[in-house]
Amino acid sequence: MSFVGLDKVAKLFQIVRANGGVMRSLRKLYMQDELKIGTLIGSDKYGNKYFENNEYFYGRNRWVEYNPKHNLEYDGSMVPAEWFGWLHYKTDSPPTVKPPVQYKWISDHTDNKSGTPDQYVPFTTTPPKIQSWVPPKKSGSSN
Amino acid sequence: MASPGAIIKSTTRQVKPLLSLDKSEARRRVLNLYKAWYRQIPYVVMDYDIPKTVPDCRKKLREEFDKNRHVQDIRVVDMLVIKGQMELKETVEIWKQKGHIMNYFKETIEPKPQGFLSKFLAGHE
Amino acid sequence: MMRLPVHRVLQKAVRHGVSGNGAVRGLAAAPEKVEVFIDDKRVLVEPGTTVLQAAAVAGVEIPRFCYHDRLSIAGNCRMCLVEVEKSLKPVASCAMPVMKGMRVKTNSEATRKAREGVMEFLLINHPLDCPICDQGGECDLQDQSMTFGSDKSRFTDIHFSGKRAVEDKNIGPLVKTIMTRCIHCTRCIRFASEVAGVDDMGTTGRGSDMQVGTYVEKMLMSELSGNIIDLCPVGALTSKPYAFTARPWETRATESIDVMDALGSNIVVSTRTGEVLRILPRMNDEINEEWIADKSRFSCDGLKRQRLTLPMLKNQNGELTPVEWEDALVGVAQALKSARGNQVAAIAGGLADAEALTAIKDLLNRLDSELLCTEEIFPLDGSGTDLRSNYLLNSKIAGIEEADLVLLVGTNPRFEAPLLNTRLRKSWINNELNVGLIGPKVDLTYSYEHVGSGPDSLNAVLEGKHAFSKQLQNAKRPIIIVGSTALQRADGAVVLAKIQKLCSTLRAKGSIDQDWRVLNVLHRVASQVAALDLGYAPGAQKIRDAKPKVLFMLGADEGVIKREDLAPGSFIIYQGHHGDKGAEIADAVLPGAAYTEKQATYVNTEGRAQQTIVAVTAPGMAREDWKIVRALSEILGIKLPYDNLNEIRRRMGEIAPNLTRYGDVEDANYFTQAAQLADLALGKGSLTTDPLDVPLKELEDYYMTNSISRASPTMAKCIQSVRKQRQSKY
Repeated sequence: MSFVGLDKVAKLFQIVRANGGVMRSLRKLYMQDELKIGTLIGSDKYGNKYFENNEYFYGRNRWVEYNPKHNLEYDGSMVPAEWFGWLHYKTDSPPTVKPPVQYKWISDHTDNKSGTPDQYVPFTTTPPKIQSWVPPKKSGSSN
Repeated sequence: MASPGAIIKSTTRQVKPLLSLDKSEARRRVLNLYKAWYRQIPYVVMDYDIPKTVPDCRKKLREEFDKNRHVQDIRVVDMLVIKGQMELKETVEIWKQKGHIMNYFKETIEPKPQGFLSKFLAGHE
Repeated sequence: MMRLPVHRVLQKAVRHGVSGNGAVRGLAAAPEKVEVFIDDKRVLVEPGTTVLQAAAVAGVEIPRFCYHDRLSIAGNCRMCLVEVEKSLKPVASCAMPVMKGMRVKTNSEATRKAREGVMEFLLINHPLDCPICDQGGECDLQDQSMTFGSDKSRFTDIHFSGKRAVEDKNIGPLVKTIMTRCIHCTRCIRFASEVAGVDDMGTTGRGSDMQVGTYVEKMLMSELSGNIIDLCPVGALTSKPYAFTARPWETRATESIDVMDALGSNIVVSTRTGEVLRILPRMNDEINEEWIADKSRFSCDGLKRQRLTLPMLKNQNGELTPVEWEDALVGVAQALKSARGNQVAAIAGGLADAEALTAIKDLLNRLDSELLCTEEIFPLDGSGTDLRSNYLLNSKIAGIEEADLVLLVGTNPRFEAPLLNTRLRKSWINNELNVGLIGPKVDLTYSYEHVGSGPDSLNAVLEGKHAFSKQLQNAKRPIIIVGSTALQRADGAVVLAKIQKLCSTLRAKGSIDQDWRVLNVLHRVASQVAALDLGYAPGAQKIRDAKPKVLFMLGADEGVIKREDLAPGSFIIYQGHHGDKGAEIADAVLPGAAYTEKQATYVNTEGRAQQTIVAVTAPGMAREDWKIVRALSEILGIKLPYDNLNEIRRRMGEIAPNLTRYGDVEDANYFTQAAQLADLALGKGSLTTDPLDVPLKELEDYYMTNSISRASPTMAKCIQSVRKQRQSKY
């Protein structure tokens, strides 16, 4: 079977099935540029799902599927800190196995706002050298 | 004051030609240069990866030659041809960079305001 | 209040003869000159000259701290010690008069050692805080210790007692004191008591306990207090608003003219990166000597606030909104287009320059209008403003030193023209000048005879009924100074005519020199004389009568004309540099340049044309004033025939040639004719009985008089602290 490559075809069918049919698979391919099969390790509170499949080689065996509400507008900064370590091989234990220590000073994760209307724009803090006159609002003069 | 002899000498002196001996020869050199550039343009567009089409560049080439249409002195014509050849060589050998090529297409510079009112409105002295 | 003993007066008179300014007339033939040798160079000087001055004649500059040209001699710093042959000890050259055949060695070993010794003593108790001192870079002590001091110090604090430290004094919002740096030259004390006439400063304690200060914590209540900053040779007295702002080598100096009063004091504008940092006086013996008043010096921070930086037009909601120049000019041109003749008027304020006045006059004349007015009023009856002699300070500012009697009518020169007042005070100290005053009793810093407070006392003087008129009759060189406020009254014409009559009766006695000028008018604002020279009508009455549809206000910020004075639905154009009363009522605002931002002509109250120089560029979209008018004229289709400064100045010279003769005073004449014509005015009305009043009576009135000083935070602080000082029991 492997000789004629039929196992590859079988694998394809398996992946398509695992991803919920042809249409869903095509959509996932459109969204993520690849179609994979793996075990769901967990998900975070933002709705991102984390998968692992060690059949793939190191570096491609852990991945994230972003919350579908973002459509194509997802980016890497949406991964919260507790999953970041597992996803980037800093640790092998995902937060589902070893939850991170909760400190009261830990603030909520925010993703990168660059390129959005909420982005940070640097501004000058030096006062202007010349202060302009501002006409009084609707002064008491006639007309 | 130069002596009368010197003046006669200077006015009747035979000018030393640069390359061409007469107008037709100068014209031939110009046309040769033009053709050389014309043929090279597709390669230039490709090599330098400039955001211009071949017809655009040919139009610009024509424009650059037309700029000097008024030149009559064959020595000046020769000198311009020599300069044009140097440019061509630099272009073909990729001694230039993309910016140098795009410099031919630079936006026309806004002329400085003339007259009191336009200077006033522009905030120039 | 101080007057010098007679021998000092004589000595001063001699010294004035030497320096050449304010030469006292009628002095006996000059005494024989004394021959002295400075470093074996022979010089001839007047007797009574000091060694230091003789050395200056020989071209040798002797170092000094306490000596100052315009102050009395103290001789306490000892820096000017020089060796004199056949003298056992070194001699303080600033206090030692020359003697015949004196041989002075300013470069000898003994002199050098004396200087180094003095410098060493000074530095023992002077803090080494030059890096954080505001005087750094322009400090006499720094410079002279480099030039004349020793290369090393023998001072070691073996008892670990530390250097002398003195508590800082608070003497108001203008002058910052760091008294530890003081070297007790007493220049500030002498300035305060001699020039400013405020005896608040002095010393307490002796020896190393000596302190300079105001005895009790007190503001230095003077309109000239800023000058002690320039006088202080070290960093003990520095400018409070300028503190830690810049070093002198970072700034650019532009020589310009002050416009805060009508004297046109010469100033230096210090700028850095397009910002006016401070204003310093520039020497001009004819006008301000080397002082300037506090308003001129410290109101420059008003140039950075409340500025008009963008052209503005009223939108549909009646609110001024910023627009482009083109839109603003077109908007203004539309309003002006339909108006002709008496429907257009212009009114000029106190800071307008002659170029802008010329341009507006030409523009309005092309619109067939002659309604050109100034905010300041001047009587038009009699010869009015047709003869220049009527509205100038004819005797000139320096001429006051030659007068033997001055009668002030309806003016308070101390606050209207502080530097004129210092001249009067100088003459009062040195020349026994008698001063009489008709008007409210004010503190002029010197004693005067209060002739009366109403115009009736003017009558009394004229008719010889008053005791003062006897003095006036006997005076050889009398001066009568009329304040322009006295002429703003309804009976101003009669006041002026009476004074002219008084002048001509004095002159008729024949004891007065033919070329001596008696009548003098003191204006309050910088633009007035130029405006009158150009043919502007003083006072806004003409505008109120004509009720124009369009009013062009050139820096008119005193609120003389209100919207009610104009035709209903009228259009007001304000051109100026500050948002003040004028801009508030305007329909269109054209931002102009302030006096530090344009090269412009101002004529002072003497009739002396001077020009300001561009120190910084105008902020935002603001433009030079005459250029705005010129651009507007082109849009209106009546192009004015000048494109650059030279061309407009040529045009200005066509109207009034004296406006372009910079630095000179064009003398006025036709005094007798003016007096004859004034008689006509006498017949027209009579004096009212209400007393002559002046608006600037006290120091707190002085600080804010125009749009620049009203925008200045420093001036506001001054008023606050003067009011606070009035509450204090000292």
